[in-house]
Amino acid sequence: MKTLVIIPAFNEEENIEKVVENIKEFGYDYIVINDHSTDSTEKILDEKGYSHLDLCVNVGLAGVTRVGFKYAHDNGYDCVINIDGDGQHPADQIDSLVKEIENGFDYVVGSRFVSEKKPFTARMFGSRLLCLLIKIKTGKTVFDPTSGMRALGEKVIADFSSSMNYWAEPDALCHILKSGYKVKEIQVKMMDRQGGQSYFVNPFKSIKYMIAEILSILFVQW
Amino acid sequence: MNNLQLSLLAVSVLVLIFVLRNIIKNRMNIGYAMVWIMWAIGMVIISLFPQIVAKVARLLGIQTQSNAVFLITIFLLYCLTFYLYLRISRHNEDIVNLNYEIASLRKKLEELENAGRK
Repeated sequence: MKTLVIIPAFNEEENIEKVVENIKEFGYDYIVINDHSTDSTEKILDEKGYSHLDLCVNVGLAGVTRVGFKYAHDNGYDCVINIDGDGQHPADQIDSLVKEIENGFDYVVGSRFVSEKKPFTARMFGSRLLCLLIKIKTGKTVFDPTSGMRALGEKVIADFSSSMNYWAEPDALCHILKSGYKVKEIQVKMMDRQGGQSYFVNPFKSIKYMIAEILSILFVQW
Repeated sequence: MNNLQLSLLAVSVLVLIFVLRNIIKNRMNIGYAMVWIMWAIGMVIISLFPQIVAKVARLLGIQTQSNAVFLITIFLLYCLTFYLYLRISRHNEDIVNLNYEIASLRKKLEELENAGRK
Protein backbone atom coordinates (compact mmCIF):
# COMPACT_ATOMS: atom_id res chain seq x y z
CA MET A 1 0.00 0.00 0.00
CA LYS A 2 1.40 3.38 -1.06
CA THR A 3 1.42 5.38 2.16
CA LEU A 4 2.17 9.04 2.68
CA VAL A 5 2.67 10.78 6.02
CA ILE A 6 1.47 14.40 6.03
CA ILE A 7 3.12 16.71 8.54
CA PRO A 8 1.68 20.24 8.69
CA ALA A 9 4.18 22.68 10.18
CA PHE A 10 3.78 26.28 11.22
CA ASN A 11 6.69 27.74 13.20
CA GLU A 12 7.92 24.35 14.33
CA GLU A 13 11.68 24.97 14.17
CA GLU A 14 12.17 23.23 17.52
CA ASN A 15 10.34 20.05 16.63
CA ILE A 16 10.35 19.50 12.93
CA GLU A 17 13.75 17.86 12.64
CA LYS A 18 12.99 15.31 15.35
CA VAL A 19 9.58 14.55 13.87
CA VAL A 20 10.90 13.99 10.35
CA GLU A 21 13.91 11.93 11.47
CA ASN A 22 11.51 9.80 13.48
CA ILE A 23 9.37 9.19 10.38
CA LYS A 24 12.39 8.51 8.16
CA GLU A 25 13.60 5.82 10.58
CA PHE A 26 10.53 3.82 9.68
CA GLY A 27 10.97 4.46 5.96
CA TYR A 28 7.58 6.01 5.17
CA ASP A 29 7.07 8.49 2.34
CA TYR A 30 6.35 11.83 3.97
CA ILE A 31 5.68 15.43 3.07
CA VAL A 32 6.10 18.39 5.38
CA ILE A 33 3.81 21.28 4.54
CA ASN A 34 5.26 24.54 5.69
CA ASP A 35 2.38 26.98 6.21
CA HIS A 36 4.46 30.09 5.50
CA SER A 37 6.32 29.87 8.82
CA THR A 38 7.93 33.05 10.09
CA ASP A 39 10.76 31.28 11.91
CA SER A 40 13.56 29.14 10.50
CA THR A 41 11.36 26.12 9.69
CA GLU A 42 11.80 26.66 5.94
CA LYS A 43 15.59 26.92 6.26
CA ILE A 44 15.77 23.68 8.24
CA LEU A 45 13.63 21.90 5.65
CA ASP A 46 15.82 23.15 2.78
CA GLU A 47 19.13 22.44 4.46
CA LYS A 48 18.22 18.95 5.54
CA GLY A 49 16.73 18.21 2.15
CA TYR A 50 13.44 17.01 3.62
CA SER A 51 10.59 16.50 1.19
CA HIS A 52 8.34 19.51 1.68
CA LEU A 53 5.91 22.01 0.19
CA ASP A 54 6.35 25.69 0.98
CA LEU A 55 3.12 27.68 0.92
CA CYS A 56 3.54 31.32 -0.04
CA VAL A 57 0.53 32.52 1.94
CA ASN A 58 -0.48 31.34 5.40
CA VAL A 59 -3.74 29.38 5.15
CA GLY A 60 -4.20 27.91 8.63
CA LEU A 61 -4.40 24.30 9.77
CA ALA A 62 -7.56 23.39 7.89
CA GLY A 63 -6.07 24.66 4.63
CA VAL A 64 -2.69 23.05 5.18
CA THR A 65 -4.05 19.57 5.75
CA ARG A 66 -6.17 19.93 2.63
CA VAL A 67 -3.09 20.89 0.63
CA GLY A 68 -1.55 17.66 1.93
CA PHE A 69 -4.57 15.60 0.85
CA LYS A 70 -4.44 17.21 -2.59
CA TYR A 71 -0.78 16.31 -2.90
CA ALA A 72 -1.50 12.72 -1.88
CA HIS A 73 -4.43 12.53 -4.30
CA ASP A 74 -2.41 13.91 -7.24
CA ASN A 75 0.51 11.61 -6.56
CA GLY A 76 -1.59 8.48 -6.39
CA TYR A 77 -1.26 7.56 -2.74
CA ASP A 78 -3.92 5.22 -1.44
CA CYS A 79 -3.29 5.75 2.25
CA VAL A 80 -2.54 8.99 4.05
CA ILE A 81 -1.44 9.39 7.65
CA ASN A 82 -2.03 12.82 9.09
CA ILE A 83 0.12 13.65 12.11
CA ASP A 84 1.02 16.85 13.93
CA GLY A 85 4.27 18.70 13.38
CA ASP A 86 4.95 19.07 17.09
CA GLY A 87 6.16 15.58 17.91
CA GLN A 88 3.00 14.44 19.71
CA HIS A 89 2.57 11.43 17.49
CA PRO A 90 5.44 8.93 17.54
CA ALA A 91 6.14 7.21 14.23
CA ASP A 92 6.07 3.71 15.74
CA GLN A 93 2.27 4.09 16.10
CA ILE A 94 1.73 4.65 12.38
CA ASP A 95 1.98 1.03 11.38
CA SER A 96 -1.09 0.02 13.38
CA LEU A 97 -3.13 2.68 11.56
CA VAL A 98 -1.91 1.55 8.12
CA LYS A 99 -2.83 -2.05 8.98
CA GLU A 100 -6.45 -1.05 9.61
CA ILE A 101 -6.61 0.75 6.24
CA GLU A 102 -5.26 -2.43 4.67
CA ASN A 103 -8.05 -4.31 6.46
CA GLY A 104 -10.54 -2.24 4.47
CA PHE A 105 -11.40 0.65 6.76
CA ASP A 106 -11.70 4.09 5.12
CA TYR A 107 -10.88 6.25 8.09
CA VAL A 108 -8.85 5.25 11.14
CA VAL A 109 -8.47 7.49 14.17
CA GLY A 110 -5.47 7.12 16.44
CA SER A 111 -7.24 7.58 19.73
CA ARG A 112 -5.95 8.26 23.19
CA PHE A 113 -9.01 6.93 24.96
CA VAL A 114 -10.22 3.62 23.51
CA SER A 115 -8.83 1.49 26.31
CA GLU A 116 -7.61 4.25 28.57
CA LYS A 117 -9.70 6.57 30.69
CA LYS A 118 -10.27 10.17 29.79
CA PRO A 119 -9.00 12.53 32.49
CA PHE A 120 -11.22 15.26 33.96
CA THR A 121 -9.69 18.45 32.64
CA ALA A 122 -11.22 21.50 30.96
CA ARG A 123 -9.95 20.31 27.60
CA MET A 124 -11.43 16.86 28.08
CA PHE A 125 -14.75 18.43 29.00
CA GLY A 126 -14.71 19.89 25.51
CA SER A 127 -13.84 16.49 24.12
CA ARG A 128 -16.77 14.88 26.00
CA LEU A 129 -19.16 17.51 24.70
CA LEU A 130 -18.05 16.83 21.11
CA CYS A 131 -18.43 13.06 21.69
CA LEU A 132 -21.95 13.63 22.91
CA LEU A 133 -22.88 15.81 19.92
CA ILE A 134 -21.46 13.28 17.46
CA LYS A 135 -23.39 10.54 19.26
CA ILE A 136 -26.62 12.54 18.94
CA LYS A 137 -25.96 13.42 15.32
CA THR A 138 -24.73 10.08 14.01
CA GLY A 139 -25.65 7.54 16.66
CA LYS A 140 -22.05 6.33 16.79
CA THR A 141 -19.78 6.33 19.81
CA VAL A 142 -16.39 7.96 19.44
CA PHE A 143 -13.75 8.32 22.12
CA ASP A 144 -11.29 10.90 20.87
CA PRO A 145 -12.86 13.23 18.28
CA THR A 146 -10.09 15.84 18.47
CA SER A 147 -7.23 13.45 17.79
CA GLY A 148 -4.95 14.83 15.08
CA MET A 149 -3.54 11.42 14.22
CA ARG A 150 -5.62 9.91 11.46
CA ALA A 151 -5.27 7.51 8.58
CA LEU A 152 -7.32 8.02 5.42
CA GLY A 153 -8.09 5.54 2.72
CA GLU A 154 -8.31 6.32 -0.98
CA LYS A 155 -11.97 7.37 -1.07
CA VAL A 156 -11.64 9.71 1.89
CA ILE A 157 -8.51 11.31 0.40
CA ALA A 158 -10.45 12.18 -2.74
CA ASP A 159 -13.33 13.52 -0.66
CA PHE A 160 -11.15 15.66 1.64
CA SER A 161 -8.95 17.06 -1.10
CA SER A 162 -11.90 18.72 -2.80
CA SER A 163 -14.28 19.72 -0.05
CA MET A 164 -14.04 22.82 2.08
CA ASN A 165 -16.68 22.25 4.66
CA TYR A 166 -14.68 20.41 7.28
CA TRP A 167 -12.74 22.68 9.42
CA ALA A 168 -11.03 20.41 11.91
CA GLU A 169 -10.98 16.82 13.13
CA PRO A 170 -14.30 16.56 15.00
CA ASP A 171 -16.55 17.80 12.21
CA ALA A 172 -14.52 15.86 9.65
CA LEU A 173 -15.14 12.74 11.73
CA CYS A 174 -18.84 13.60 11.91
CA HIS A 175 -18.99 14.00 8.12
CA ILE A 176 -17.18 10.69 7.67
CA LEU A 177 -19.63 8.86 9.94
CA LYS A 178 -22.58 10.52 8.22
CA SER A 179 -21.31 9.55 4.78
CA GLY A 180 -21.23 5.89 5.65
CA TYR A 181 -17.48 5.31 5.43
CA LYS A 182 -16.02 2.49 7.49
CA VAL A 183 -14.45 4.03 10.55
CA LYS A 184 -12.25 2.52 13.22
CA GLU A 185 -10.72 4.01 16.32
CA ILE A 186 -7.62 2.36 17.72
CA GLN A 187 -5.63 3.03 20.85
CA VAL A 188 -2.32 4.79 20.29
CA LYS A 189 0.30 6.17 22.60
CA MET A 190 0.78 9.93 22.34
CA MET A 191 3.38 12.20 23.84
CA ASP A 192 3.15 15.77 25.08
CA ARG A 193 4.10 18.54 22.71
CA GLN A 194 7.91 18.56 22.58
CA GLY A 195 8.50 22.31 22.26
CA GLY A 196 7.20 25.50 20.70
CA GLN A 197 3.68 26.83 21.11
CA SER A 198 0.32 25.25 20.58
CA TYR A 199 -2.51 26.95 18.75
CA PHE A 200 -4.63 26.49 21.86
CA VAL A 201 -2.45 28.53 24.21
CA ASN A 202 -4.78 31.40 23.39
CA PRO A 203 -8.08 30.80 25.25
CA PHE A 204 -10.07 32.77 22.68
CA LYS A 205 -8.88 30.44 19.98
CA SER A 206 -10.01 27.44 22.04
CA ILE A 207 -13.43 29.01 22.44
CA LYS A 208 -13.62 29.85 18.74
CA TYR A 209 -12.61 26.29 17.93
CA MET A 210 -15.30 24.80 20.19
CA ILE A 211 -18.05 27.08 18.88
CA ALA A 212 -17.08 26.42 15.26
CA GLU A 213 -17.01 22.66 15.85
CA ILE A 214 -20.31 22.58 17.71
CA LEU A 215 -22.09 24.62 15.03
CA SER A 216 -20.49 22.61 12.26
CA ILE A 217 -21.50 19.28 13.78
CA LEU A 218 -25.03 20.47 14.56
CA PHE A 219 -25.90 22.40 11.41
CA VAL A 220 -23.44 21.81 8.60
CA GLN A 221 -22.57 18.12 8.46
CA TRP A 222 -25.46 16.18 6.98
CA MET B 1 -39.85 70.78 -1.86
CA ASN B 2 -38.90 71.39 1.75
CA ASN B 3 -35.42 71.80 3.16
CA LEU B 4 -35.09 68.20 4.31
CA GLN B 5 -36.00 66.89 0.91
CA LEU B 6 -33.56 69.25 -0.77
CA SER B 7 -30.67 68.23 1.46
CA LEU B 8 -31.49 64.54 1.03
CA LEU B 9 -31.50 65.04 -2.72
CA ALA B 10 -28.18 66.91 -2.61
CA VAL B 11 -26.55 64.20 -0.51
CA SER B 12 -27.85 61.36 -2.64
CA VAL B 13 -26.65 63.03 -5.83
CA LEU B 14 -23.24 63.52 -4.19
CA VAL B 15 -23.21 59.84 -3.23
CA LEU B 16 -24.02 58.86 -6.80
CA ILE B 17 -21.17 61.00 -8.12
CA PHE B 18 -18.80 59.65 -5.47
CA VAL B 19 -19.72 56.05 -6.25
CA LEU B 20 -19.41 56.47 -10.02
CA ARG B 21 -16.14 58.36 -9.76
CA ASN B 22 -14.54 55.73 -7.56
CA ILE B 23 -15.85 52.85 -9.60
CA ILE B 24 -14.36 54.38 -12.75
CA LYS B 25 -11.09 55.37 -11.09
CA ASN B 26 -10.49 52.08 -9.25
CA ARG B 27 -11.92 49.97 -12.05
CA MET B 28 -14.35 48.07 -9.83
CA ASN B 29 -15.54 44.90 -11.49
CA ILE B 30 -18.93 45.64 -13.15
CA GLY B 31 -20.47 42.61 -11.45
CA TYR B 32 -19.95 44.31 -8.09
CA ALA B 33 -20.22 47.90 -9.32
CA MET B 34 -23.80 47.40 -10.58
CA VAL B 35 -25.03 46.86 -7.02
CA TRP B 36 -23.58 50.18 -5.88
CA ILE B 37 -24.70 52.12 -8.94
CA MET B 38 -28.25 50.81 -8.57
CA TRP B 39 -28.19 51.59 -4.86
CA ALA B 40 -27.04 55.19 -5.47
CA ILE B 41 -29.61 55.71 -8.25
CA GLY B 42 -32.29 54.29 -5.93
CA MET B 43 -31.34 56.84 -3.29
CA VAL B 44 -31.71 59.71 -5.77
CA ILE B 45 -35.08 58.41 -6.95
CA ILE B 46 -36.37 58.06 -3.40
CA SER B 47 -35.30 61.58 -2.46
CA LEU B 48 -37.01 62.92 -5.61
CA PHE B 49 -40.22 60.95 -5.03
CA PRO B 50 -40.66 60.29 -1.29
CA GLN B 51 -44.24 59.16 -2.06
CA ILE B 52 -42.70 55.80 -3.00
CA VAL B 53 -41.64 55.25 0.61
CA ALA B 54 -45.07 56.25 1.86
CA LYS B 55 -46.67 53.75 -0.49
CA VAL B 56 -44.31 50.93 0.47
CA ALA B 57 -44.84 51.65 4.17
CA ARG B 58 -48.63 51.43 3.70
CA LEU B 59 -48.26 48.24 1.66
CA LEU B 60 -46.16 46.59 4.36
CA GLY B 61 -48.43 47.92 7.10
CA ILE B 62 -45.66 49.95 8.75
CA GLN B 63 -46.96 53.08 10.50
CA THR B 64 -43.95 55.39 10.18
CA GLN B 65 -42.18 55.84 6.87
CA SER B 66 -38.73 56.07 8.47
CA ASN B 67 -39.20 52.58 9.93
CA ALA B 68 -39.99 51.27 6.47
CA VAL B 69 -36.76 52.82 5.17
CA PHE B 70 -34.78 51.26 8.04
CA LEU B 71 -36.34 47.84 7.56
CA ILE B 72 -35.68 47.75 3.84
CA THR B 73 -32.14 49.10 3.95
CA ILE B 74 -31.12 46.82 6.82
CA PHE B 75 -32.52 43.85 4.96
CA LEU B 76 -30.65 44.81 1.78
CA LEU B 77 -27.40 45.36 3.70
CA TYR B 78 -27.87 42.00 5.41
CA CYS B 79 -28.19 40.28 2.05
CA LEU B 80 -25.20 42.14 0.69
CA THR B 81 -22.96 41.19 3.64
CA PHE B 82 -24.01 37.58 3.44
CA TYR B 83 -23.13 37.53 -0.23
CA LEU B 84 -19.73 39.01 0.62
CA TYR B 85 -19.12 36.22 3.16
CA LEU B 86 -19.90 33.66 0.50
CA ARG B 87 -17.47 35.34 -1.88
CA ILE B 88 -14.76 35.53 0.78
CA SER B 89 -14.97 31.86 1.59
CA ARG B 90 -14.88 31.06 -2.11
CA HIS B 91 -11.74 33.19 -2.32
CA ASN B 92 -10.20 31.42 0.68
CA GLU B 93 -10.75 28.19 -1.16
CA ASP B 94 -9.09 29.61 -4.27
CA ILE B 95 -6.11 30.78 -2.21
CA VAL B 96 -5.64 27.27 -0.81
CA ASN B 97 -5.77 25.79 -4.30
CA LEU B 98 -3.41 28.35 -5.81
CA ASN B 99 -1.09 27.91 -2.87
CA TYR B 100 -1.01 24.20 -3.49
CA GLU B 101 -0.33 24.64 -7.20
CA ILE B 102 2.53 27.08 -6.58
CA ALA B 103 4.04 24.96 -3.82
CA SER B 104 3.99 21.78 -5.86
CA LEU B 105 5.52 23.57 -8.87
CA ARG B 106 8.25 24.92 -6.62
CA LYS B 107 8.91 21.45 -5.30
CA LYS B 108 9.15 20.01 -8.81
CA LEU B 109 11.45 22.83 -9.90
CA GLU B 110 13.75 22.26 -6.93
CA GLU B 111 13.88 18.56 -7.68
CA LEU B 112 14.77 19.27 -11.31
CA GLU B 113 17.47 21.74 -10.30
CA ASN B 114 18.96 19.25 -7.88
CA ALA B 115 18.90 16.53 -10.51
CA GLY B 116 20.55 18.90 -13.00
CA ARG B 117 23.34 19.71 -10.56
CA LYS B 118 24.18 16.05 -10.12
